[in-house]
Amino acid sequence: MTRRVLGILLLAVAGVSLAILSEAPYAATPPNRALIRLSWRAYSEQVQACRRLTPEELERLPIHMRQEEVCERTILPYRLLVSIDGTAVTNILVRSGGAREDRPLYVFHELPVAPGPHRLTIRFEREGEGETRDAAEPIPEREARETPPRLALDEVVVLGDRAVIVVTYDEEQRRLHVLAGREAGS
Amino acid sequence: MAQDPAATLKRLLWRTLARADAVCNRLYGWRYNPLYHSGALVVALFLVLLVTGIYLLFFYRLGAPYDSVAHLTAQPSLGRWIRGLHRYASDAAVIAVALHALRLFAQGRSWGPRALAWVTGVLLFGAVLVCGWTGFVMVWDVQAQVLAQEGARLLDVVPIFSEPISRAFVGERPMPGAFFFLNLFAHIALPIGLGLIVWLHVSRVARPKLLPPRGLLWGSSIALLALSIVWPVTMGPPADLFRLPGPAPYDVFYAFWLPLTRALPVGAAWAAIVAVTLLLLLVPLWTRPRAAHRPLPSVVDEQLCSGCEQCFLDCPYDAITMTPRPAATAAAGRSALVARVDPALCVSCGICAGSCAPMGVGPPGRTGRDQLGAARAFAAARTLASSDVVVIACDRGAAALAHAGASSGVHVWPVSCAGNLHTSVIELFLRAGTGGVLVASCPPRDCWNREGPQWLEQRVYHDREAELQERVDRRRVRIVAAAAAEAEVLLTAIARFRQDIAALAAVPGERDVTDLIRLCEAEEAMR
Ligand code: HEM
Ligand code: SF4
Ligand code: SF4
Repeated sequence: MTRRVLGILLLAVAGVSLAILSEAPYAATPPNRALIRLSWRAYSEQVQACRRLTPEELERLPIHMRQEEVCERTILPYRLLVSIDGTAVTNILVRSGGAREDRPLYVFHELPVAPGPHRLTIRFEREGEGETRDAAEPIPEREARETPPRLALDEVVVLGDRAVIVVTYDEEQRRLHVLAGREAGS
Repeated sequence: MAQDPAATLKRLLWRTLARADAVCNRLYGWRYNPLYHSGALVVALFLVLLVTGIYLLFFYRLGAPYDSVAHLTAQPSLGRWIRGLHRYASDAAVIAVALHALRLFAQGRSWGPRALAWVTGVLLFGAVLVCGWTGFVMVWDVQAQVLAQEGARLLDVVPIFSEPISRAFVGERPMPGAFFFLNLFAHIALPIGLGLIVWLHVSRVARPKLLPPRGLLWGSSIALLALSIVWPVTMGPPADLFRLPGPAPYDVFYAFWLPLTRALPVGAAWAAIVAVTLLLLLVPLWTRPRAAHRPLPSVVDEQLCSGCEQCFLDCPYDAITMTPRPAATAAAGRSALVARVDPALCVSCGICAGSCAPMGVGPPGRTGRDQLGAARAFAAARTLASSDVVVIACDRGAAALAHAGASSGVHVWPVSCAGNLHTSVIELFLRAGTGGVLVASCPPRDCWNREGPQWLEQRVYHDREAELQERVDRRRVRIVAAAAAEAEVLLTAIARFRQDIAALAAVPGERDVTDLIRLCEAEEAMR
């Protein structure tokens, strides 16, 4: 009898522990934090660099692959410069994505800040512009597809406790802009 | 001699588990002790998850994940109960997997031919955690958001996607339905993969016990359902990508790693994940005893083997095959087939030694012949009175206890597993004059060699091949199941057995037992 009661009691204790551990309170971020998140995609200028192969290099290739001139296409990187309240916090080179670097450029960058107003200055500028362009493509079409060579944002943003704002690139208006919770929805 | 840290860890763990076993045996009986069925309980919980998951699928909406789960949770009865059962069963599965792995680790069943089971077990554990991850993401509350964002942060350093996955969780665009579709797909596809790995996991054991006894199967399901009724599961606030996640309820069993990896830079988090995974995967290497201490695989003496196939039937690891008898031992009247042990599959459990009436197989030093020889020396070295009992105790379980509790008139003869015991040893001790033989085995489902006590019981009471001879008075033989920490069970059983024996008329001992081997052989020859 007591054994049965104890058995049920142990089962109950195990069950309640399971339920408690199943919903344990935890705050993934402590209070008094806020975050500026930069996230956009950019299509940069594609350039083609061609050179002639030396006779020795040609020699090493199988006959059916021997071409006098080889051309390499690359996508130009952008430099991302961010300062918050006049202090430079980020200076990075953003290269195009993909293992062969033939995909668009992706910016994903998070900057923790204290809640409150901040002056946010961002510059996103193409590097190495004006080198050999891919001459085959007409310029207007290319420019319509490409992200402008220079983007900038200079704004005072106000962040509440635990707020996140997102700076992104608006492909229609061709400019950087700030998204905050209510207008964007999730 | 320097202490091996792995051995110390194993011993400590085993001591703790043995105590927990004793408590559960006391409260639920060894048949329904959940700790003995941890692996099978995981399979049972998978079944519960399958049934409840199909129900939940009807209510889940990819376009409104949070709202659909909230709607289900708000239902006064069935919906929330089933959601609760699905959640609690998945939590219980993690506990059961962990207990199963810890138990096998503590028992040293983690290397050699068991390495495949160990490695696939680690994969199973990983797959269970990933499956749980997708399940929690489905809810799309704060916990889901943190799991998704942390998962994306970790995956983004792996160069498989050109676009960072993290960009899906910034709120720049609404969460794409395709994400929830993919997640749901993974949540359903992973268990199918899991099923395949389970098949591989048990591929080296004969007759795997995939389900717990019915009472435990229903008992655990009903207990979890009751829990989901009296302690309903809730939800955190909805995910909001424009807020840093604040306080919310988290499931410790599936999200335990979040505080650890979030505190680390992504490279260090990966280093920790890889290190822990490697440590677990390599357990078969670092728990393997040094060559000198490694138990040797079984060997067949083809001169003695009569081709009866019993060892082939009894081996719990399918390590024995019957093959045509080689010319060297062929002779008129000899069987066409002989047993052959595959040393790569043999775990040296010794069960075959107890299976073989002519004593032709077993690990070196532990065959029926070796046992009889040792038992004869044991009997010769002491006086066995008709009021005495010999306790044949399994080394893994009761032997230590029996030694501790041995008083005058109780003689302890340890054996490497009760299932190894050749039944003629029992007869030998009785013929040598002892009043009774008590075999103390581990509880059947706790046998380190899986099937030892089960075969022993059948050999003693149900005429399974290599049976205890009919001429042996069964009133003087008893089997008791006592786990490693159940001193009281064993001592009580010994005392009761001695009382029962005292009530039987005293039989004079023969003292001369040298003819027993000859007798066994003669009988075998007559078959
Ligand atoms: C989804 C998770 C798992 C399930 C469903 C499962 C299930 C099982 C089952 C049914 C058996 C056969 C038991 C028997 O009949 O004796 C078994 C054996 C085994 N399991 Fe698991 N297991 C799981 C995870 C693990 C893990 C995580 C490990 C260790 C890392 C592990 C290690 C082993 C070993 C070594 C054996 C062989 C035991 C022996 O040969 O004596 N398993 N498992
Ligand atoms: S000792 Fe015998 S029963 Fe055990 S695994 Fe080896 S061959 Fe099979
Ligand atoms: S039990 Fe013994 S006699 Fe029978 S097949 Fe196996 S080794 Fe041969």
